[in-house]
Amino acid sequence: MTELAIRVRDLRKVFGATVAVRGVDLDVPAGAVMGLLGPNGSGKTTLIRLLLALSRPTAGTVELLGAPVPAAAGKVLPHVGALVEGPAFHPFLSGRDNLRRCAAAEPLLASRAIPEAVDRALIRVGLADAAERRYRAYSLGMKQRLGLAAVLLTRRRLVVLDEPTNGLDPAGTQEVRRIIAELHADGATVLVSSHLLAEVESTCTHVAVLDRGSLIAAGSLAVLLDGEAPALDVRTPDSVTAVDALRVAGLSAAATSDGVRVELAGTEAPAVVSMLVGAGVAVHEVRRRRTGLDELFAQLTEGDGR
Amino acid sequence: MILPISGPVRAPLVRLLRSELRWVLRRPRTQITLVLLALVPVLTGIGVAAAGSPVGAGLLTEVAGNGLVLPVGALSICLTLLLPLAVAMAAADALAGESAHGTLRGLLLAPVSRSRLVLIKAIGVLAVAVTTVAAVTVLGIITGLILVGPSGSAHGLLTLSGTEIGPGSALMRVALAAIWTVVQLAAVGAVALAVSSATDHPLVVLATVLGGLIGFGVISAIPALDWLHPLLLTTGWFAITDVLRDPMPLTGLASSSARAGCYVILGVTLALARTATREA
Repeated sequence: MTELAIRVRDLRKVFGATVAVRGVDLDVPAGAVMGLLGPNGSGKTTLIRLLLALSRPTAGTVELLGAPVPAAAGKVLPHVGALVEGPAFHPFLSGRDNLRRCAAAEPLLASRAIPEAVDRALIRVGLADAAERRYRAYSLGMKQRLGLAAVLLTRRRLVVLDEPTNGLDPAGTQEVRRIIAELHADGATVLVSSHLLAEVESTCTHVAVLDRGSLIAAGSLAVLLDGEAPALDVRTPDSVTAVDALRVAGLSAAATSDGVRVELAGTEAPAVVSMLVGAGVAVHEVRRRRTGLDELFAQLTEGDGR
Repeated sequence: MILPISGPVRAPLVRLLRSELRWVLRRPRTQITLVLLALVPVLTGIGVAAAGSPVGAGLLTEVAGNGLVLPVGALSICLTLLLPLAVAMAAADALAGESAHGTLRGLLLAPVSRSRLVLIKAIGVLAVAVTTVAAVTVLGIITGLILVGPSGSAHGLLTLSGTEIGPGSALMRVALAAIWTVVQLAAVGAVALAVSSATDHPLVVLATVLGGLIGFGVISAIPALDWLHPLLLTTGWFAITDVLRDPMPLTGLASSSARAGCYVILGVTLALARTATREA
C-alpha cells in the first residue's frame, strides 16, 4: 500500500450548533497533488486548519507525514508549507522584510541561509522587483504571490494551499499552476483547495469533494472524471437522423439542444463517429462528456452564483 | 512510514527574539509613541522653568530648583496613564493584532510552539516598556540638566527631605526609579498580554487596560473598599517619589515591586493557558 502524506479519520469539528466538518475520512498518497473541491462554506478551510493544527478537532485523528497532529505538530510542520485563508503580512514592512520575518521562524532554515532563501523565493514568485516595496502598496495578486513565497522558503514535503489563485489574473493563475507542477516534480505532496473545478482538473492528480462538511467523493482524478457512465456529446444539425441511426445500431441516444448524446455502453467513440458519418450525419464536433465529478460539482455549486 | 523526520525542529530562540524586537521597534506607532513620550519631560521641564520660582511643596515645583528631579517627576506623570497605554498597545499588537492580521497563523505554522510564542511576545512587550521608560528618563535627565542645571551650590540632588546627595548617587536613584517603573509596566504588560491572548481585537486590550486603571483609581478612592487596596497594582505607584527622600524608604518600593511581580506571574500564566488552546 502506498505511503500517505495525509491520513484523516472520522474528523469532526463543531462550532457551537454548527457542524463544520462531519466525519471526514481522507487519504492523500505521498507525491499526489490533491485538489480539495467544494462550494464556498463547504468546510474546506476548516478542514485545512484542522490538518495544520491551527484548530483542534472535536473528534477524530489527523496524521501528516506519518505523525499525529496536533501532538507531533512541532516535528511535522517544519516540513509543511501552507497558505491558509489568504496571505497575511505586516503592511508597514517591505515584501522582503516580511519574508525575513517568516524565515526567522522556519526551523529548517539555517540563519546564514536566510537572505539567499528569501531572495530565491522572491524570484520564484516573480516579486524580485517589488521586494523593497511596502506590503501595504502591493496589489492583491502580489500579496498572494508573497504568500506563496513564504511557502517556498524551504524545501517542503507537504504543501497546503487554500485557494491560491484567489485574486490572481490569468497569468498569475498560470504561475501558481507552474509552481504546483514544480513542487509535484520535486516529490512534494500538494493539497490545494478551490471552488473551481477547471483549476483542479488542470493541476491535480487526485481530487476530494466536500459538501456541507462531508466528503462526498475522493480518489484519483481520472477515475472520478470518467465516472461509471461515459457518453459522447455530438454536435450536429441532423439530430433526428443521428438518433435513428444510433438506435438502429442498438445504442442508447437522445437528442439534445444542439445534437445528440450517446451512451458509450459496449462501444467505443470511433465506432460511434464512423457510424454517424456512414449514416450521412454532419458531425461538427464530438466531445467525451465527463460524468461523475463534473455533474456532481455542477449540482453542488448550483445556485452558488456561477 | 514517511518519517522519521530529522534535523532541528525549532528555530533558534535568539533569532526569533531579534526578529520580534525588530518588528516591535520598527513599527511606526511604537516610534511615534516613543517620540511623544520623550516630549513629556521636555515640555514639563520647560513649563516648570517658565513658571519661575517654586511655590508650594509639590514634586513638580521641586523640579524648578533641581534638574534631576525632572526625570523622576516625568516618570511619575507618565506612569499614571501614558506609559501603561504604550505598553498595552504593544501587548495588543503582540497577539490580538497578529491574530487579526492573520500573521499569527504564519508563526504557528512555521512552527513556533505556543509557549515560546508567549515568551517571545512577552519579551517584545517588555522591550517597549524598557525603551519608553528609557526615553522618558534620558530626555528627563537631559532637559533637567539643561534647563535647571544641577541644584545650587553642591552639584547634586536636593531631596524632598531637604538634604543634598551627590550627582552619582542622584543618577543611581533616577536609574532605580526607571527600573521600578519598568517593573510596574511589566505587570501592566503581562495582564494586557493575557487579554490579548483571548481576543482578536486589539482595541479590547486597550479598553481593558484603560478601564482597569480608571477602575483601580475609583476603588482606591472609596474608603469602604480599603480591604481591596492592597490588591490593586496602582496602590503602590506613589512609591516612586521615595527615591527622592533621604534616607530612602525601601518598603513602598519593595512591596509595590512584589505586587507587580504577582501581576506578571498571573498575566503570563493566563496568556500561556489561553494561547495553548487558541484557534488561529
